[in-house]
Amino acid sequence: MRVVKSVHPETVAVVDDEPAIRETVTFALKREGYRVRAFGDGREAWESLQQELPGLAILDIVLPRMDGLELCRKLRARSEALPIIFLSSRDEELDRVLGLELGADDYLCKPFSMRELVARVKVLFRRAALLRSGPSAEPEKLLKAGPLELDLDRYTARWNGALVSLTVTEFLLLQSLARHPGHVKTRRQLMEDAYPHDAFVSERTIDSHIKRLRRKLVETEPSFSGIETVHGLGYRYEGG
Amino acid sequence: MGEEGGPAGAPGRRRRGGLSTRLLAFNLLLVFIPAAGLLYLGTYEKQLLEAQERSMVQEGRVLAAALSEPGALAGEEAPRVLARLNRRLESRIRVVDAHGKILADTSRLGPRREKPAEEGREAKGRERILYRVGAIFYSLSHRLLPPAEPPLEMREPSPPDGQLRGREVEAALSGRYGRTVRPSPAGQRSVTLSIAIPIAGEGAAPAGAVVVTSSTWRILQDLYAIRLGIFQVCLASVALAGVLSLLVSKTIARPLQELRDEAAAILDRRGRLQGSFRRSQRKDEIGELSRALHDLTARLEGYQRFLESFAAEISHEFRNPLASIRIAAEMAEDAEKEEDRRRFLEIAQREVQRMERLLSELREMTRVDARLESEEQGALSLNALLERVCEGYRLRGSRVVFSFEPPAETITVQASGERMAQVFENLLDNAASFSPDGSAVRVRLDREEGAACVRIADQGPGIPDEHLPRIFERFFSWRPGHPEADPHTGLGLAIVRTIVEGYGGTVAAATNPEGGATFTVRMPASRTGVFAKLAPRA
Repeated sequence: MRVVKSVHPETVAVVDDEPAIRETVTFALKREGYRVRAFGDGREAWESLQQELPGLAILDIVLPRMDGLELCRKLRARSEALPIIFLSSRDEELDRVLGLELGADDYLCKPFSMRELVARVKVLFRRAALLRSGPSAEPEKLLKAGPLELDLDRYTARWNGALVSLTVTEFLLLQSLARHPGHVKTRRQLMEDAYPHDAFVSERTIDSHIKRLRRKLVETEPSFSGIETVHGLGYRYEGG
Repeated sequence: MGEEGGPAGAPGRRRRGGLSTRLLAFNLLLVFIPAAGLLYLGTYEKQLLEAQERSMVQEGRVLAAALSEPGALAGEEAPRVLARLNRRLESRIRVVDAHGKILADTSRLGPRREKPAEEGREAKGRERILYRVGAIFYSLSHRLLPPAEPPLEMREPSPPDGQLRGREVEAALSGRYGRTVRPSPAGQRSVTLSIAIPIAGEGAAPAGAVVVTSSTWRILQDLYAIRLGIFQVCLASVALAGVLSLLVSKTIARPLQELRDEAAAILDRRGRLQGSFRRSQRKDEIGELSRALHDLTARLEGYQRFLESFAAEISHEFRNPLASIRIAAEMAEDAEKEEDRRRFLEIAQREVQRMERLLSELREMTRVDARLESEEQGALSLNALLERVCEGYRLRGSRVVFSFEPPAETITVQASGERMAQVFENLLDNAASFSPDGSAVRVRLDREEGAACVRIADQGPGIPDEHLPRIFERFFSWRPGHPEADPHTGLGLAIVRTIVEGYGGTVAAATNPEGGATFTVRMPASRTGVFAKLAPRA
């Protein structure tokens, strides 16, 4: 993918104890025009970030001195709207983090693709900007499937008008499923739709996200059972 | 793999109670065999019969002697004597002349003194049932081993012509002692014993004979009473043995069954350990077994946890360099400037090196874990080893100054030189990596309470208290200040601990009050001096 240079006045905080990852992520985001503040230690990051909140935070989960979950909780307490992306190097960690109501906006599993990460950062910045400007979606940017309504610009989902708060990955999965109700989507297809820039995502990751997506929809609509597991194949969206 | 789950459970269930049954059978046999022996052995019966025969012979002799006066048989002497004796005898006594003609017979002398009524005893139902139960064993044994019955004389001993015949009579009339056993007319199991004693006459030929006849019925009656008694004792013992066996099985078999159930519960369907045995408070061998099993499963559980966490840790540790390599490769691909591209390729190279190092250290660590016991080890002088290791650092031109302070005596430990060199190199590497340029790392060797004690002190930042408990854990790593320099895996100190603990030693770390960290290795020291000569090492 050809990287389009555009200037963003936004700041991204990168907190990871791996110097190589810090260095490359910093370089890549700077090339996209973001201002980057990188930290190798959770406490150091918190001490600096609470002075001046970033526009977006990328957090590793395992960090020295203060782990990413704690840092996320503290940042959330300061700002509801701050987009947060988690980087995780363990599948079990992902499950655990998904179970916590941390309100993270996305999760990527190491080894992730830098292109994927950059794309997510862009999506999250855009979503944050559009949400600030209020709900005025153009009709062609809306996908409707029964009571489900997906705003493809803002990456927001509504069930009978009620907002379902989804991560970017969950939104992309739901969009992929809801576009063709009744059709089975294989995990491979879902992977390609949810991680367009990353060909190395494990199938377990998809399952974790689907599980979480179902739970969020059930929280909104207790009788929801629209996402069906097709054993040996993948998943199918059945509509309301 | 056939040991897991269902297949192993089924035969175990089939054997349920096997130990209890065997205990019961064993106890019953112990009680029953001697008792049965008493019941079955004919010795006692034989002795009683002999005793009866002796007393009959005695009676016969006395009578024969009394009648041996010349002419005693001719008159009414014999019936008179018998009439006098009659009420005092239990046997039937007949006197015959030299031709076998009956001269006198106690049975023709009116009613005899009756023996105590046996019917009353026989009639008691309980004893009858007991006796029948006993008789089953008794007749069974007789069927298997028929007792040697004496030959039976079938002829009627009291012919109507008053002439008494029979082998014993013939023998007595020819001057010898005669004896015959006949079946009792009553047709019971009892027999009639008949003996004949010659009565001395004037010549060589006897003048007649005294024939004493008695049924063994009385003896059998006595034996029956004895056997009944023994059988009652035997039954009581069997009941007692049953109760005792139950108690014993409660104290042995039951706890063993519980242990087995516990063992079955500990393995889940997939054969994984779930928890461990309870530590029993019992003071006996079963308690010891349960405690041993508890320790065993606790160790296994620990090892299982270790394996599971180890796999997770390894995948975690590999994902970080893998992530760096992947994004560095992507970045190099997307880079527009040549210098950027080179920079990312360098990062990728560095991370590949790190993965290689991680792999080799992991291999090292599992090898140490598995082989330390079997590796060659001998008396190793720590003085020489530490001198050599420090010299090696000096020769390589380290940025840190290593100084070794050897003690006056030579301190030796039982270990492999290669492994101990690895321990100290890892500790010195660690100390050096935290030391500022030109600072000193001091190595001291002492003997303390029989242990060889090596202290390695650096002048680095020391170790924060919160990290102290974790620094010897695998993959634990804390590198403030200069993270880019000197790729590390977090395994060096873990390897140190594995080796030292494998030799029965300990390793600890502390922050010095004056700054810097001190690592202390304690190893069991070999005995030296007089004691070493007196007691050669085992």
